[in-house]
Amino acid sequence: MILNAAIYGFGGLAVLATLLMIFQRDSVKAALLMLLALLSTAALYLALSAQLVAILQVILYAGAIMTLFIVALTVTPAAWRDRQPAASVKGLLGLAAAAVLFAELLKAAAPLRAVAASREFAETGSLELARLLFGPYVFQFELLSLVILAAIVAAVALTSRRRTAV
Amino acid sequence: MTQFHLLAISFALFASAAAGFLTCNSLVRMLMFLELMLNAANVAIVALGQGAVGHAYAVMLFAVAAAEAGVGLALILSLASVFRTLEPGNIKELKG
Repeated sequence: MILNAAIYGFGGLAVLATLLMIFQRDSVKAALLMLLALLSTAALYLALSAQLVAILQVILYAGAIMTLFIVALTVTPAAWRDRQPAASVKGLLGLAAAAVLFAELLKAAAPLRAVAASREFAETGSLELARLLFGPYVFQFELLSLVILAAIVAAVALTSRRRTAV
Repeated sequence: MTQFHLLAISFALFASAAAGFLTCNSLVRMLMFLELMLNAANVAIVALGQGAVGHAYAVMLFAVAAAEAGVGLALILSLASVFRTLEPGNIKELKG
């Protein structure tokens, strides 16, 4: 009962923060609302018995990625940061497209209405997760290190070219 | 609670982030909403995944999200320094 309430509560909070982000004109305030959405998602993971994922969500998303966004917002001059315009045709079309997407996704997931989710709080140990990551999924996991390496090289190459160009 | 309800939460997150992505007017904001869309996909994986297997995939998706944010922001910063704007409508040519 409490778990169900927590899942709905934190899920709703994340959705609310995302919706408020759309209508927030100030970029830094929008980033803080994104932080709220990410932290409530971390709480949602906790309610779904994914303790390690919740901690990683706080460290990686709410910590590292949010810092990147805040830095990006502060290093770009304020004049480049454009204000959100008032509701226009484009905005209404975007909202309508998202509503259609939501309805279609719900329609596609309708067969899952009959499948009950096991909602008892359980401990998922990091040992079990490590056994999977370094056992059956070791190839995918090691491949990810290459993805991260490529991302680092790309980011450094892009920003250093900018520095020499300027 | 059924699996449908869990998916509905994830879909609501995804759709609201998609709405933001489609309506916003700044490249940094678009990347933020893109991250939130990936986050919603992660919620679906954890909610429907069977125990540790779903969590393992979620951990891998975290790494993908971090890589995406790094490269995306580097691209946006280099684009912004060339075009002196963060508004996607003002960037009309993509020359090497």
